[in-house]
Amino acid sequence: MPTLLAAKDPTDVLDDLKPAGPKATVLDPAKAHLGKTIKNERQLIRARFSPDGVHLAAAGLDKIIHVWEVETEKKHTLPGHVTWVSALVFNPKGKQLFTADFHGNIRAWDYAKPDSQPLFTITGADRQITRALAVTTDGALLLSGGDDGVVRAWSTKDGKPAKEFGTALTTPVWQRVFKAGEAGHCGGIYALAVHPDGKSFVSGDQFGVVKHWEIASGKLVRDLDARLLYTRKEDFIADVGGVRCFAFDAKGERLATGGLSKAESNAFCPGTPAVLVFDWGTGKSLTELKLTVKSDGPINGLRYLSDGTLAGFGEHQSAATVCAFWKPADKPEPFHTVSAQSATDLDLHPDGQRLVAPLFVANGSGGNGAREKFKDKYVQNSSQIAVINLFAKVDTKPVKKA
Amino acid sequence: MKRWYECGSADHALSRRQMLGTLAGTAAVGACGLSSLMQQTVAAEMKKQNRQVIFIWLDGGMSQFESWDPKPDSEFGGPFRTIPTSVPGVHISELMPHSAKLMHHLTVVRSMSTKDPNHSTGVARIQRGDPANRGVNYPYLGAAVTKLLGAPANGLPPYIWIKPGSGGFIYQEAGFLGAKYGALALGEGKPPIHIQRPDTISDADDAARNELRRLANARFRLDRRESEVDAYEQSYDMAMQLMKRKELFDNSRLPAKDIARYGTHPLGRHLLQARVLLEAGVQFIKVTSYHWDTHGDNFNMSQQLVPQIDQPFAALIQDLADRSMLDNVLVVLMSEFGRTPTINSRLGRDHWPDAWSLALAGAGIRRGNIVGQTTKNGAWVEGEGYDVGHLFHTIFSALGINSKKIEYKNNGQPLPIARDDYEPIKLALA
Repeated sequence: MPTLLAAKDPTDVLDDLKPAGPKATVLDPAKAHLGKTIKNERQLIRARFSPDGVHLAAAGLDKIIHVWEVETEKKHTLPGHVTWVSALVFNPKGKQLFTADFHGNIRAWDYAKPDSQPLFTITGADRQITRALAVTTDGALLLSGGDDGVVRAWSTKDGKPAKEFGTALTTPVWQRVFKAGEAGHCGGIYALAVHPDGKSFVSGDQFGVVKHWEIASGKLVRDLDARLLYTRKEDFIADVGGVRCFAFDAKGERLATGGLSKAESNAFCPGTPAVLVFDWGTGKSLTELKLTVKSDGPINGLRYLSDGTLAGFGEHQSAATVCAFWKPADKPEPFHTVSAQSATDLDLHPDGQRLVAPLFVANGSGGNGAREKFKDKYVQNSSQIAVINLFAKVDTKPVKKA
Repeated sequence: MKRWYECGSADHALSRRQMLGTLAGTAAVGACGLSSLMQQTVAAEMKKQNRQVIFIWLDGGMSQFESWDPKPDSEFGGPFRTIPTSVPGVHISELMPHSAKLMHHLTVVRSMSTKDPNHSTGVARIQRGDPANRGVNYPYLGAAVTKLLGAPANGLPPYIWIKPGSGGFIYQEAGFLGAKYGALALGEGKPPIHIQRPDTISDADDAARNELRRLANARFRLDRRESEVDAYEQSYDMAMQLMKRKELFDNSRLPAKDIARYGTHPLGRHLLQARVLLEAGVQFIKVTSYHWDTHGDNFNMSQQLVPQIDQPFAALIQDLADRSMLDNVLVVLMSEFGRTPTINSRLGRDHWPDAWSLALAGAGIRRGNIVGQTTKNGAWVEGEGYDVGHLFHTIFSALGINSKKIEYKNNGQPLPIARDDYEPIKLALA
């Protein structure tokens, strides 16, 4: 059983999941480094800290919800879903965790109680796959988005429908076509984020369109153009990319969107990991951030740190990639990177001192068959939850006496 | 029912030479029951010659987990559900709702187990029947079938390949059979360019220029390999034939309902074009779709890709059934391999020849049938697996070609038409 506090390296005393506490040094993203990792038998898609920083939850292909109590190292599970978990979000104002799956079902959990049953289930919330969840800053509404292009708001109290943003798409996913200036999304929704002022939120779709909605009125305020994150070349037979993640800065003055630009095919889907930073006031794209190392998949997670640094993490085919740290106002290249395997999400601990990401782990069975000779050793790939510490390593080696 | 694409009465007629050959062969059997035997043999020969094939190739490898052999409850299964089909107890992926309704017409082989994990060698190897290093360039399936069945005298190219991109005469597919057995490729399903003769050229002028071309060819042939000239002449003759059948490419004649049923995407358009050409009597049609090699983002891609074959494939099967053509037309839907059980760092699936699925329907094929099975986690074939050699024997058997007895002759060298160490997949045959 994984333990959160078992040090990977005896000198690495701060590399645990506990809130940083008195030992913590000053936030220094330029010295960010990989800390503790926790293995999981199956691949994970999402990993998030609870708003009070006491718990960490993760879920993915094994359908169950894994919850770690950070301080006590205890782990428990929640029954989860009947298919892969696609999204996971905590209620910032309560002890609720919401999870969604690839069949369009959403469940609410009292996550601190081991093996507890769902508080409520919303069945078929979003036609086909529910891909994104968010909770309003007052904790009253759960937002969900998925394949039918509508953002639905649900009461966090009982899961009853409260509001809809946009009109449900009826054409199948593969037959959809982008049209500029539509009142709702033309494609499936991949990402959601609530603005820090609590009055509005953004939804991002498969075509790279970001829509800014007013929560109270349900009105569409404007579109932001993140079309760079979408590719459909003439010889493609599918849409590639889409807005995969969002992050607002603390003041709500900047919105970062992550994904993949310049895809070269709809098969391998290789492209250029890309981040677009928007000025929230004008809605204009200010900069396109890049990686300086080879990586071919989308940026799947973004988080602003308290000093204005933007952290981003994504995927790479069959090789390591990086968690990148940018000063978006300074230059498009990261000022620091931490090498690691592909990540499908990224979250920041409430203490602001560490990030967490579910990383891909290859178990020697990757790549093309034929594998008949290695039948007995053929096993699934897995994940590890990785902590990225946002401060310098502390050298605890004893000082030699003169 | 006479179809509007059908041309004159010469369609599907046995040639005089074939008839005499058949009768001579029958006479050798002996006097006893000669009349009856002759009738049976002629009937069998006529039936064989009427056989047609549509070979649908999803280049790159469709995921069996997201199509014919879903395992949602296993460690390797994807997030999609299974749905019941028209055959009780048989379930396939929810991404194939149209095909599910027509499962009673299909055989799905879930126990393909092949050797080659690479596209570069796998595509040619599979479409040539994996001839096992015979030292010669074996023909692709389309060339083989048109050679073995004998082209019908209907004035149409026997082997047409509908594909994305550019077209042309692809003589390389003929292998050692010689260039004339190559494929006429219709890029984007469109006829060869210049198919329409300008009005300014009269019939007489056209005949005169063709005569000049023939004379030039004869001279050109004198000091060159026959195959080169054959390829040129064959492509020209095919273009000439198609010039007389312009209506086959006139999409304004297609019912709007059919266009909607097949879909306006490339596979939809190309399979509808294929149906038109099958109705006209083209003997072998290959339809290729590229970009199924979902190493990255397999599940989002499958959600978009699999319905693109499901809808027009089901429309085609339904149309062939409605037109009573399924008894004569063999339908093959396959890739060069399946996709890995394991899911990689880009949430993709890689190449997996060890255990994968394909679908067959129509002439000589058992209906409402699942052949073979994979292990609970979908990674391996449980029981007997089938290689490409088995598949080629099965295809030839379904077409009435005795693949265990008939051989090619290449410069006097006898060569098996399918791997002589394999047998047909009997469970797939009617």
